Amino acid sequence: MIAPGALEDIKVLDISQGIAGPFAAKILADFGADVIKVEPLTGDYGRTMAPFHKDDPDIEKSLFFLLLNLNKRGITLNLETSTGQKIFKELVAKCDVVVESFEPGYLDSLGLGYAELEKINPQIVLTSITWFGQTGPYSNYKGEEIVAYAMSGIMSISGTADREPLKHGGFQSQYESGINGALSTAFTLLMRDFTNEGQHVDVSIQEVVNSTLVVNQPFYSWTGAVQGRRRSEGAGFGNVMPCADGYFISQPGGGATWDDIVDFYGDEVLREEKFANAEQRVQNGVEFDQVLTEATKDRKMHEMFKSASEDYRMLFGIVQTPEDLANCPQLEARNFYEEVDHPIIGKIKVPFRLFNMSETPSQYRIPSPTLGQHNVEVYTETLNYSKEDLVKLRELEII
Amino acid sequence: MTNSPFENLRVIDSTYVFAMPYAGGILGDMGAEVIKIEGPAHLDIVRGGQFSGGFPDNDPGQDYWNRSASFNLLNRNKKSLTLDLSKEECREYLKELISISDVMMENYTPRVMKRWGLDYENIKKIKPDLILISNTGYGHGDGPFSAYPAQATTQEATHGHCYITGYNNDIPSKAGASYVDFLACWSGLFAVASALRHRNKTGNGQWIDIGMYQLGVMGTAEYIMDWQSNENKSGRFGNRHPWRTPQGTYPCEGVDQWVVLSIGEDSQWAQFCHIMDKPELAIDDKYATLLNRRQNHDEIDVIISEWTKTKGKYEIMELLQSVNIPCGPVFDSADCNLNPHYQERGFIERVEYPEFRKIGTRKIMGRPWKGSKLDARVRAPIEPLGSSNSLILQELIGMSDTDFEDFKTKGFISEEPAEKREVPTSSLEEQVQSGRLAYFDPDYKNKLGI
Repeated sequence: MIAPGALEDIKVLDISQGIAGPFAAKILADFGADVIKVEPLTGDYGRTMAPFHKDDPDIEKSLFFLLLNLNKRGITLNLETSTGQKIFKELVAKCDVVVESFEPGYLDSLGLGYAELEKINPQIVLTSITWFGQTGPYSNYKGEEIVAYAMSGIMSISGTADREPLKHGGFQSQYESGINGALSTAFTLLMRDFTNEGQHVDVSIQEVVNSTLVVNQPFYSWTGAVQGRRRSEGAGFGNVMPCADGYFISQPGGGATWDDIVDFYGDEVLREEKFANAEQRVQNGVEFDQVLTEATKDRKMHEMFKSASEDYRMLFGIVQTPEDLANCPQLEARNFYEEVDHPIIGKIKVPFRLFNMSETPSQYRIPSPTLGQHNVEVYTETLNYSKEDLVKLRELEII
Repeated sequence: MTNSPFENLRVIDSTYVFAMPYAGGILGDMGAEVIKIEGPAHLDIVRGGQFSGGFPDNDPGQDYWNRSASFNLLNRNKKSLTLDLSKEECREYLKELISISDVMMENYTPRVMKRWGLDYENIKKIKPDLILISNTGYGHGDGPFSAYPAQATTQEATHGHCYITGYNNDIPSKAGASYVDFLACWSGLFAVASALRHRNKTGNGQWIDIGMYQLGVMGTAEYIMDWQSNENKSGRFGNRHPWRTPQGTYPCEGVDQWVVLSIGEDSQWAQFCHIMDKPELAIDDKYATLLNRRQNHDEIDVIISEWTKTKGKYEIMELLQSVNIPCGPVFDSADCNLNPHYQERGFIERVEYPEFRKIGTRKIMGRPWKGSKLDARVRAPIEPLGSSNSLILQELIGMSDTDFEDFKTKGFISEEPAEKREVPTSSLEEQVQSGRLAYFDPDYKNKLGI
């Protein structure tokens, strides 16, 4: 039996590209929304993002695009033509949500801004996800992952004090903003159930990342204090440490006493007064690092992880590689991966399940669409175009 | 008939630290009634200590536990109830409260709620349409890690984030602070909103089971795909971009001042060379094309640094943004608090405390999204510990005066921590010396207008 989706009554037009917007729309799709991905004739630029299947840079083989666009149907539509705009409005009349990530003002310039969409469908929710938001002096600034990290403040505390500020690996600001796009849309839909009114939702990637600075940002407003980056060595338990076959990180606390922690590392010197509390461990940090490094140089990280967590109830982490994660029994037990059968890529295991909901779980239904895969289905069924119409629209480079 | 789904929505928040308390705070921004429950002997550790973010004007005052920056930011809007849930008789009252609530949030390790007879199956018997949200490190169930103690700092390694974070060709590193907590906060809010829609349509509650580990792993999803399909194990390239070149962090005029920039297309590179007044680099074969720039990234970084060193970070931002090159200063927390863009968007909100709290007016981050018709705002500061004990236990769920007094005597409820502890009160000057702080700004109140 297929469980109900919490958003199964919701139709979404996803005209966003890249990472954040598509991820937001995918989360809505995972929980039941019928999401139609609307791409320009050249495709979402996400189709050009590595990694590619077997390193073949074909627009149908981007694995990044695949994982961000599961559960969506796909159509093409040239929004920069007047006919394309007319068709888009016809779709908007039949949908509940539009997710977009263009630069602020772009949709307005096409006559497709919120003010126009609201006239067509007063219940429409337009969710805009951009680097700096829709308003304010930086709203037209160009962003990039690294710029979001710099201007959110988080890079100022990332990396070590003796070097330049460091960004997070990968595209975290956009994953984070995708979740915020989904959550603000869900709040708005919940509200719409009561008021019957749509609205324009404005998600700022810069503010998303800044929202994670819950210690050092208010520190300034409370005291005027400004924190910087950690020392590169001797930060107590602050840094990643090497072991025989990888790296680990450990913290005091959890269910472990200091004696448990000393027993785990097995070096009695840790019981000495100079390592008794956090302040002293930092004060004697270089020596502390040496003790830990010596104590763990012949130990393997997965074994340490198991023993520290199970036998000593310690807070302990190991630097898992993508290979470790692909084969992780915990992720297996939580059904994190879905096996996707993609028409061009074939069968592949895709990171999917974010969390469990007992009544309305996320469900995998269909792979990511190939470019324009559902044109006929959507244009003839959702709208009443004939196949002959579609041929004309194709010739005019509208679909 | 109310016209907001959040009015009359009662949320029990039995959670600690960052992830779920923040989610509860934001539900309060939406208008929900959020009741934070803490045991007098098990207060939220963010009330004081390493995650506290300091006390007002660095003064712990007479009631340090009500005053820390982070605690007040995360827990805004909430009512405060104390109840020692490790005691059976206290849990009986919790059950009463559950029977008249809509949402319950908890972040105990998986064993705890079960041991208390408060796992979802049992909670459902008390209040069939309750939405229970459980946040744990690895999620409930039979997985081998499910019972492991967890916290964002150590999970950052385990969920793969450290592997992909670090200086170019260097060892793995952490970045930011408590990353996965925020993924859990926002995912939890999405799940609660979805579950409320479902409940409003069907009358059914449900259980939301978040394991933070999965959320963190999702942030490395493309690396996992790359390993599967291509056996690519490449991990860290610092501040560089997988395809745009050059991209990096460059020093500017002043102490510890930095700017980042990211250039993709060759035409952007040419424009940048003109701005640096080095037009010859735009046509130099070594740098003119993306692929050649990738080969010579180290050299390019030296050239760019020479130029940025002589300029201010805002000046560079304006120069480059004027020709549409993604660029920006590395803001520290003073920059963020005072930045005109944040201010103008209303992202930084003022919170006024009543006189007796001796906290004054402070500014905190609101939410990173707004809706044109969404009334989301920080409505009030969290009240002092245990302020709603009588309101909730006596007026709402009918505890007798005798029991109330008895609970007080036994220390099950309180308006103070069971054990007050020494709060370190080193001066900000000392904290700068010890390296805990980069600097402090004695004029911060004036600049913030508080």
